[in-house]
Amino acid sequence: MPPFAAPYNPISMGYPKRTPSPPNIVTLNVGGHLFQTTTQTLTLAGPDSILSTYANPGSSSDAFIDRDPELFSVLLSLLRTASLPSKARSFDLQDLLAEARFFGLEPLLVSSLSSPDRFDPFALEQSAVLPLNGRDPPSTLSVTQTGSVHVAHGSKITSFDWSLRRRSTVLTRFPAVDSLLAISPSVAAAGATDVAGLQILSLSDGGSTLKTLNWADPTKSGSAVQAIGASPDLLFSSFESCRRNASAIVAFDAGAGFQPVVEIGRREIYGAELDSAIPATKLQWVPSYNLLMAAGAHSGPSGRTGNVRLWDVRAPMEAVWEAKEGTEDCFADVAASEEVGAVFKVGVNSGEVYMVDLRKMGGWVGLGRGAAVAAGKGGKEGSGCRVECYGGHVFVSRGGDVEMWSEVVVKGGLNYGLGGDERVMRRNVMGRRRGDGVGKGRIGEMGFGGSRMVLARKGEQCVEVWEGGSDLRF
Amino acid sequence: MDDSNSEDAPDLRPSDGDRIRLNVGGRLFETTVSTLRSGGPDSLLWALSNRPISSDPIFIDRDPDAFSALLSLLRSGRLPSSSTLHRHYLSDEASFYGLDHLLRSSLSPPPLLATDASIVTTLSPSSDALPSALSASGGVSSSDGSVWIAHGGQVSAYDWSLLHSATIRTHLDEISALRRVRPDFAAVASPVSPGLHLYSLYGGLHAGSAQWSDPSDPRVHKATVVAIAPDDDPFGPTIFASFECPHRENSIAAVDRSTLTISSLIGRQSGGSAKTAVPGKLRHLPEKNLIFSVAISSGAFGYSGYVRLWDVRSGDAVWETSEPGSGRSSRFGDTFADVDVNSDESAMFKVCSKSGDVAIADLRMLGEDPWVYLEEANPVLRGVSGGGGGGATTVLHCYQRQVFVSREGALGVWSQVEEDREKRVTERTFRKNWVDKEGDSDRGVIRLMEGGGNRLFVCREGVEGVEVWESSESSGVVFIS
Repeated sequence: MPPFAAPYNPISMGYPKRTPSPPNIVTLNVGGHLFQTTTQTLTLAGPDSILSTYANPGSSSDAFIDRDPELFSVLLSLLRTASLPSKARSFDLQDLLAEARFFGLEPLLVSSLSSPDRFDPFALEQSAVLPLNGRDPPSTLSVTQTGSVHVAHGSKITSFDWSLRRRSTVLTRFPAVDSLLAISPSVAAAGATDVAGLQILSLSDGGSTLKTLNWADPTKSGSAVQAIGASPDLLFSSFESCRRNASAIVAFDAGAGFQPVVEIGRREIYGAELDSAIPATKLQWVPSYNLLMAAGAHSGPSGRTGNVRLWDVRAPMEAVWEAKEGTEDCFADVAASEEVGAVFKVGVNSGEVYMVDLRKMGGWVGLGRGAAVAAGKGGKEGSGCRVECYGGHVFVSRGGDVEMWSEVVVKGGLNYGLGGDERVMRRNVMGRRRGDGVGKGRIGEMGFGGSRMVLARKGEQCVEVWEGGSDLRF
Repeated sequence: MDDSNSEDAPDLRPSDGDRIRLNVGGRLFETTVSTLRSGGPDSLLWALSNRPISSDPIFIDRDPDAFSALLSLLRSGRLPSSSTLHRHYLSDEASFYGLDHLLRSSLSPPPLLATDASIVTTLSPSSDALPSALSASGGVSSSDGSVWIAHGGQVSAYDWSLLHSATIRTHLDEISALRRVRPDFAAVASPVSPGLHLYSLYGGLHAGSAQWSDPSDPRVHKATVVAIAPDDDPFGPTIFASFECPHRENSIAAVDRSTLTISSLIGRQSGGSAKTAVPGKLRHLPEKNLIFSVAISSGAFGYSGYVRLWDVRSGDAVWETSEPGSGRSSRFGDTFADVDVNSDESAMFKVCSKSGDVAIADLRMLGEDPWVYLEEANPVLRGVSGGGGGGATTVLHCYQRQVFVSREGALGVWSQVEEDREKRVTERTFRKNWVDKEGDSDRGVIRLMEGGGNRLFVCREGVEGVEVWESSESSGVVFIS
């Protein structure tokens, strides 16, 4: 886009002649103020915007739009530079949003404020607290790509839009929602471990159930949802039969009315082999590897045992990779990072962070926090720790604090700089010493989306939002 | 720009006094060509001012509010005080028009006058905010007031307007030395991990490392870097750093900036005693081609150490002094706690560990005991400056003919009286003043100080963030209604 346009008429030394505007300059009269811009700038608004109708040079020269000129000037700057001018902050975001909606610029406004490429992990600091009404503490949360936050507390799901300014709550038929995944800002999948069926809920009109999905389990006892995951076109749900003797992951086609497509890793218990059918309690799609990570564990008298499996959806009978987690240091939580190309876990006994390289599919490699010492003592250092991967970094919650593991590629390697390049993971403690995280409750849930990290602490009727770049924040 | 005009055609290019009309985003601006050209030949407006005169205003598809502020900057050299635009936005717009240097000079602080400075802000990175090393752009040429902070294993950059511009994570868990190499690269080192490492700050990639190894001597192995000399010139061809092996064998090394290989070693020594310990402070004095190295350690019996000046070309020590000396020193038993050099003034300063006294030595006349002690005539200050007894943490830093001396949490400065400038260094009059107020020292013991771009950056023990001290032309008056 050329930022300025040449005057069109050839030089005349005589009387200055009043010539019409050159064809690529568009004059808009918004609420009495005249704005001039180029057709290229207006085209950036996209075909759905009413501004694109003024973009073709043939349109009438005096386009009048009866809207507030001040707000329009902000949106025009957004179009020109793809970022909001600082004067935008003197307006209320709701007004700006309503205006952007009128002009069809809402996606542009959303992406300029909250999009995954604006996620700045090193600058994250607590920026907002979202209060929840009632007495139920948050049980699970889900954050969408644009940064809208959906929190399940008790039988309710409260949704905050991407601007975090607006809230709506719907009531579900579950006594307590245990799994939640927002499919779009207005549709979510929800499940509970004690009530059969996966519900697709509309969050916009009072929480009507759009569809209830079930797994036809072998015992015909009904099956409850243990975990929900999603790929761009499939919705995955981990079911366990209500008699707790069979489990499977079912993939539904999100595009075609949620028809079941494939059943992955079906397990049934025969005899006393209790470990054979631990249902997956965490599902995560790893896009570039086309793999579904499924992890499940249960705690017994001898300790916590479980497994982590990677599934190719096209071969649902046999896992691509499997790690059996014994009692010595079973995972407390697992997450896969596409950018790093690895699966990460926190050991429940040691609290150590381990990783498996997805390209090599070997065994767990400890990232070095004195695993052997703590594991030998049979401690519970990692109990309750959560792991999530976002934006190429690994976030681990430990008590009330979050630590971030970042990958550093050391040229020549750590060993005296003579070998090949070496990838190492390094730990950063998030937040400042004063203020953040001190004297606060244990983190129960972590979610990431847009440019945000969202935390729910145990026993607190609110959700914390962390964002980067305080001088750029709205 | 437009040199195609032939001889016979009338010159249609505007001359300096001509008025010119601009249409920025629908708002009309009228100004003169000379105003537009005051942004310098590299600016977009200079290019526009070369366009032939026409009746139509030149159209620029940008925000008129930002342009209005920048046009005021062009006309008067300063931003209108009514401008409510955010620095970040204005800075983006200014770089679009190629006026960022003008904006920078209009918003940068006036020369730092330590006798009249105050804290303007505290830079606090979002996580792991305890600073372990600083790199302000110290040089005259590149002094734009930006600062890089090493905290935890991260390096954060703050630009000339002190806005956060980047943070990277290095593989080091603790960065003890940080230096800028070229505008975008950081040289970092850790006391526990060998080598001098180069990271690109925008992109966060590890560019390589320099290691000290000696195939003929197996003791030279896994050498860590203790100090990196800050350089006035970020494009300088050489980085000077002091390396130390686990067996305390140490040396100053000249590292080639582009290949990251050690081109020469200066003053390799065994490290067995205080007189051969690794230097913890290095300064490169380019005009004299000298390396100034200081090693000071404090133990149960007080401070001990040495100061040496090395000739870079020959690799020989030109001069050295060590304390505690043999008793010839006029201040026996009051050894230095910190030493710094001011290359512009050809002077070296030390601060005594027990008394807190500051002494000056002329670099051009170094003898066996070159120190001349600065005396403060003001009885109020004389009493306080001692601080009473040894063991106080004290840091000395020279910046722009001012010698900043901290003692625990208090920050004082020795400044030269202006009319004495022609005299020999050691005969000039210095006056001591407090930079801070009494309450400021309660925040914590000062650990690091660095001046750059007319700012002084101060870090305190166990305190998150970096304090920024500036002088200001605005009085800060409070009107009582």
